[in-house]
Amino acid sequence: MVPHLQDVIARLRDVISKFSLEGKIGLCGIALIVMVAVFAPFLSAYPPGKITGGSLESPGADHPLGTDELGMDIWSQICYGARMSLFIGLAVACIAGLGGGALGILAGYLGGAADQLVMRTVDVIMALPAFPLLIVISAFMGPNIFNVIFVLVLFSWAKPARIARSQTLTIKNNAYITAARNYGATPFYLLRRHILPEVFPILFVLIIGITSYAIMAETGLAFLGLGDPTAKSWGMMLHYATSFRSIYFTPYWQWWLLPPLAALIVLLLCLAFVGRDLEQVLDPRIRQNRGV
Amino acid sequence: MNERDRRAIIFRFVITLLVIVAINFLLPRMMPGDPFSTMASDIQGEDVIVMTEAQREYYFHYYGLDLPLHEQFFSYLANLARGDLGRSIHYRMPVNEVILLHLPWTLLIVLSATAISTVAGVILGVVSARNRSKGSDRLMMTGLIAFAEIPSFLLGIILLLIFCVHLQIFPLAGAVTPFAHYTGVLDQVRDIAYHAFLPVLTLSFAQLTGVYLLTRNTLITVSTKDYIRTAHAKGLGDRIVWTRHALRNALLPVVTRTGFVIGMLMGGAVLVESVFNYPGIGLLLRNAVVARDYPLIQGILLVVAISVLLCNLMADRIYLKLDPRVAG
Repeated sequence: MVPHLQDVIARLRDVISKFSLEGKIGLCGIALIVMVAVFAPFLSAYPPGKITGGSLESPGADHPLGTDELGMDIWSQICYGARMSLFIGLAVACIAGLGGGALGILAGYLGGAADQLVMRTVDVIMALPAFPLLIVISAFMGPNIFNVIFVLVLFSWAKPARIARSQTLTIKNNAYITAARNYGATPFYLLRRHILPEVFPILFVLIIGITSYAIMAETGLAFLGLGDPTAKSWGMMLHYATSFRSIYFTPYWQWWLLPPLAALIVLLLCLAFVGRDLEQVLDPRIRQNRGV
Repeated sequence: MNERDRRAIIFRFVITLLVIVAINFLLPRMMPGDPFSTMASDIQGEDVIVMTEAQREYYFHYYGLDLPLHEQFFSYLANLARGDLGRSIHYRMPVNEVILLHLPWTLLIVLSATAISTVAGVILGVVSARNRSKGSDRLMMTGLIAFAEIPSFLLGIILLLIFCVHLQIFPLAGAVTPFAHYTGVLDQVRDIAYHAFLPVLTLSFAQLTGVYLLTRNTLITVSTKDYIRTAHAKGLGDRIVWTRHALRNALLPVVTRTGFVIGMLMGGAVLVESVFNYPGIGLLLRNAVVARDYPLIQGILLVVAISVLLCNLMADRIYLKLDPRVAG
């Protein structure tokens, strides 16, 4: 029952053709940033953590975006920073989206005590003030990329779990599920054939939302000095630039602070455009299932 | 129904509060290995405080780590009940005194931003709803929604670069001019407003779109209702119908939302204050993190979390009170 690659491509093309102009721009933007991240070693002349020039050189032939206070090339940092920001965003989104989704489906399918346990935990997590807690937990856990991912996952699995659960509940009560079960369908079969295909598109939209939330939150944490110093994301670049004491009294901000700032804003806007369009394309399905 | 709702809301509040207290209690004790070895690990380029053996001893004693866990928890709760949040290591003062010194600034910008974003959001929402589906409505929708996707502290950096660095018309840091002599109260107020302007603007933008969308969408829903048609049919002027009949109903969710807005802004203020070096508890938290001042970090978390929870609780209660359909 593995779907054919051609089918997947056709379906994707179908979805993309329904995108608005902004959505298409967003898709191109994300593709561009992903390319930069993937081909970072080919796009930049220097490794990002190596001192290759004088301190705070202005943009020139050697360093297209100049250098930072330690003499490291800014353009390389942007290229490799794209890797870090995207990696953290996607890792958090996939773990939280798929893990939370799986928990939600289980809770919805099993019902009873398991359902109660998961849903009450979800309630509490949704009521917690996320960002202050993120700061404090990361402060105690120490700056490390896996800690950052762990903490972000902790606070973002609740929404996919809740939505996957309500979807599963709606699907479970349909007559065709009862019919299938009467014909001897195992729970695993029901899950694979009926529940997953319905829940997955919705989870996918959520994953995009969580990606941009995670990138935003990681940037915030890094900006406060809670990022991993060995994994220089765009947020860490902002942190180093703004921590430089006279950044605002010198022209350095133009090539040290602006590039990561612009890159982050472009990435977040693109993600938002794509997320919104995807949601709209999948909307009839969502609305239909939310009816109960 | 009403009574049950109220009890459910309070129950959730208490549980969440307990979770926060428990996290606060367990964090320094649950870390893998020795929590205090991470304190020595630094972040590059900051004022690093490396733990000496004496400091380690101090922390161990401070958290009472030699006692059994339940005894630790009860003494922690007892201290909390007395309002004792411990001593700040960096400031060498009781934590609640440090927090009280900074809290007014945060309250000032958060409450101003709440007021501004609510009023501006409602006005924009009304304009948008009245021009529904016309060019101006669509332009506002797209613009404001895209705008809302930019996290507030990034927006803050942009505003800072434009107004403080490039144009140099607003101050880069602080809440008052240092060593200023004021000629009068008015002068002092002006100085405070001048310093608070950009942080407030940034925070207002963060919540503007939410209020705007809520107002616009409720107004549009309300405007299709029968009683609006009745009001028109009675021969009432357009203005009266919109203000007295439509807006009054549409404002209900907006008022309710205000509590949540305050809560969200309290969280967002941490980053925005850091951007503008505005001396509220957000900046205090950043400094506490940099100095690894753990008692202070925990104290601030508790204060922020409790205020956010109280705001949400208030919002829930107000909703039940205001809407006769729910209040029953």
